[in-house]
Amino acid sequence: MRWIVKRLLMALLTIYVVITITFFLIRFMPGDFVEMMVYYYMTTYGMSEFEAREMVYGLYGVELKDPLWLQYIKYMITLLHGSWGESYISHQPVLKSLLYGLPWTIFLLSISLTISFIIGIGIGILMAYRRGGVFDNAASVITSISRATPNFILGLLLLYFFAIYYPIFPARSSYDISIKPGFTIEFISSVLYHSFLPMMAYVLTSFGGWALAMRGSAIRVLGEDYIVAAEARGLKSSRISRTYVGRNALLPLFTSFAIHLGYMFGGSVFIETYFAYNGIGQIIGLALSWRDYPLIQGGFLLITSAVVISNFIADLLYGLLDPRIRRGGMYE
Amino acid sequence: MNENKIMRIFKRILYDYIYIPLKILSKDKRALFGLIVLIIYILMSIIGPIFVPLSLEPNMEERYQPPSWKHPLGTDFAGRDIFAQIVNGGRDILIAAFLAGFVTIGLGTIIGLIAGYIGGKVDIIVTTLIDIFLTIPGFPLLMIIATWLLQSGITVNILMIAFLLSITSWAGLARSVRSQVLSIKQEPFIEVDKCLGLSKFHIIFKEILPNAMPYIAINFMLSSVSAVYSYTGLMALGLIPYTPGNWGAMIHMAQAYVGTITGAGCWYILAPSLVIIILQVSLVFLSNGIDKIFNPRLREW
Amino acid sequence: MPNPLLKTENISKIFEVGSMFGAKKHIKAVENVSIEIGENEILALVGESGCGKSTLGKLMLALLRQDSGRILYYLNNGYKDIWSLKGEEFKEYRRNAQLIPQDPYTTINPMRNVLSALTPPLLHYKIAKNRKEARKMAAELLTMVGLVPPEDFFKRYSCRLSGGQLQRIAIARAISVKPKFIVADEAVSMLDASLRIEILDLLLNLKKKIKTAYLFITHDLAIARYFARDQRIAIMYLGNIVEIGKTEEIIQNPLHPYTKVLLMSVPIPDPKIARSRGLPKLKSLEIPSLVNPPPGCKFHTRCPYAEKICEEKVPELREVKGRLVACHLL
Repeated sequence: MRWIVKRLLMALLTIYVVITITFFLIRFMPGDFVEMMVYYYMTTYGMSEFEAREMVYGLYGVELKDPLWLQYIKYMITLLHGSWGESYISHQPVLKSLLYGLPWTIFLLSISLTISFIIGIGIGILMAYRRGGVFDNAASVITSISRATPNFILGLLLLYFFAIYYPIFPARSSYDISIKPGFTIEFISSVLYHSFLPMMAYVLTSFGGWALAMRGSAIRVLGEDYIVAAEARGLKSSRISRTYVGRNALLPLFTSFAIHLGYMFGGSVFIETYFAYNGIGQIIGLALSWRDYPLIQGGFLLITSAVVISNFIADLLYGLLDPRIRRGGMYE
Repeated sequence: MNENKIMRIFKRILYDYIYIPLKILSKDKRALFGLIVLIIYILMSIIGPIFVPLSLEPNMEERYQPPSWKHPLGTDFAGRDIFAQIVNGGRDILIAAFLAGFVTIGLGTIIGLIAGYIGGKVDIIVTTLIDIFLTIPGFPLLMIIATWLLQSGITVNILMIAFLLSITSWAGLARSVRSQVLSIKQEPFIEVDKCLGLSKFHIIFKEILPNAMPYIAINFMLSSVSAVYSYTGLMALGLIPYTPGNWGAMIHMAQAYVGTITGAGCWYILAPSLVIIILQVSLVFLSNGIDKIFNPRLREW
Repeated sequence: MPNPLLKTENISKIFEVGSMFGAKKHIKAVENVSIEIGENEILALVGESGCGKSTLGKLMLALLRQDSGRILYYLNNGYKDIWSLKGEEFKEYRRNAQLIPQDPYTTINPMRNVLSALTPPLLHYKIAKNRKEARKMAAELLTMVGLVPPEDFFKRYSCRLSGGQLQRIAIARAISVKPKFIVADEAVSMLDASLRIEILDLLLNLKKKIKTAYLFITHDLAIARYFARDQRIAIMYLGNIVEIGKTEEIIQNPLHPYTKVLLMSVPIPDPKIARSRGLPKLKSLEIPSLVNPPPGCKFHTRCPYAEKICEEKVPELREVKGRLVACHLL
């Protein structure tokens, strides 16, 4: 029980630190940040100085008269109320705009993560079992390449070669706009068709990491005495690999789950921009190019919260699955 | 010091630090491949620009030319030679990557050693910090800091970029160094060392640190991989000022013009992509083989 | 004993065990122990696993700090508490108190070679003036422990050495600073039986050359008898010393019930004699837990002679027939 509380506190603490970082990034800009922002908005959007100043103050709630700690508290309160500021481009509340894109991104990322995970651990276990053989060596090379390739570069390559050069797949959007959204086969197949390339970009650059991690973990487990004992008892090797090796080797991989998710969220900015996929990544990408600070901050906060929450869930699952933690505490 | 001594020291350095590692690496074909490719990249970045100077003049008649003797990799959207850009563009990336790698392992090692050896309250604070930094997604954090940097008007030099890139990667090494320190602290040979009166400095740096070296070396390579990803990524988003010809800049431009690429112009995308991928792959291969150099137990003799 | 080198006065050490979940539990590893060790003498410390003998050794080496009591070292014609020593005096004590650990494979750093395991203390205490001299001395040390030719061993790592060789290196390390006191913590327990006598003889030979005192910790009474013949033996049970005196006297005529049980448990090759000896008549086979030790005399739950007083009062070490025994019934 206490262990869950500890994890929960860590998650909350992490989010708190992130909020603090974003706060200080704005407030502690060297040079006169407000002046620069005013100048920027004046020159880029052709506002008068008065208008620009109004806007900047309004966007950030920069009550420069208040002492810093008061600004900090006001900032926390407004955030927690869900009003994360207003995007300059759309004049929409930041949170609302972000939440439009969130489901699409989660859809894409979760399916990609699942596929790359399954493929990865499958290859990983095979590599462990056939260690040193032809398959292991060949797969080592392939998985290393997968791990080394940056996901956005593969995304760009896929976009060019399969959507523009040989237009097999569509290059824009998450679904065909002419089709009405709904649970129709038409819509669903359009969604899948449009998400194929982005998914490939994620999957092909992630499975390698899982495979290599699984291989290492499985090799370690295979060396353990209880595996030898199981074989000596005459259990079928498929049973051994599923129940004994599989479960024990999988467990350590949970800890890297959240890190990987963070990596994918980071890549989503590129991939969704390239494929004009209507997810959070695209929104943040647009915000970056327009220097729409409230939106950028809000996006960062949302992504981090998503990662922290999934990390927490992964930890919980790990705790449930690992009987050593479930039973709690040291051995008597 | 007389000449004999200098010769002896020189020979020892040559033997211990160059010959033996090479001998160890040569048994692992992939690591050797990685090393050779890396050396080629480094040479290319140092002497390449002398032979293949960069010219950034737009030459719209020669847009998207296919590879030829004049332009070994073709031309880009403004008719400029791609090969020259590739040769010249690597320098910044390699420097940033390795500098970031050094900063990461420096930070990670010191923090890990402190947390592990001192223990107590310091350890609790540091571990919490490590956990937080491990959870925060690195690249988004970098994006936000980079936009902040860009807007703040600070001139950004390569050292700053290296520090920036290592903000997100020090935590992993710190954690593994710390756990190494914790597990070694209890070993009998450390107790004997204490009885023999060896100083704390000796114990930390000459006894504990060598045990952590394999992790540190591998982490150096992997941090460099991560730094290349982050650096090219930030440039591809236009968040960091770049020199044209830089591979990340090429990706940024390629993406912007992707709809207009005709025919053999695909080289504008392919060239920087492949060159980055190969660099990363060679670093990964090298990291796999580097274990044996730092861990005498794994050697075959 | 006149002017013992090192003596402990009523030292105790309690370990806290427990996770964040439950209450912390206390293990009294060492309780109220007072022993002395004189110059150039051997004291064998015998007991079963978990009785606290390793802890006692480490306390005497100042690797652990005792929770109560004092440990005194004879320095400059007086006794000083080792935890109050500073500067040169502390350095003097440290140099003279060395350890030979149990597991030969973790006795030198697996990442460093033999030469680099031997030379640092020589340079630190300025026994050798420079690296060249340290190397020569390291060669001499290796020769002294029977590893010849020494140069063969300099560049080797622990993974390429056998248990016996590694233990010799451990011994070389310990004697390199010419200490007056060495704690050998189960130094031969992890070696093959055939090697044990060799290593024990080596230690005895070195003792003649360097004149050092040994605290020889072991669970094997036979080994203790061999090593500490004509010297002293101490028997430890669950953190207390129960009997201490001359080796031969204790072996021939054990007084404390636990000592009797230990002696009867030593395997005898000849089945006839073994059968006639019989088994110790223990009340119970269960070893009491260290967390909740029995009140009074800790052995009373198993002692065949236990009486009411044994459950209530902790026996003190009293002099009986020329040695010290902690039992109410003598």
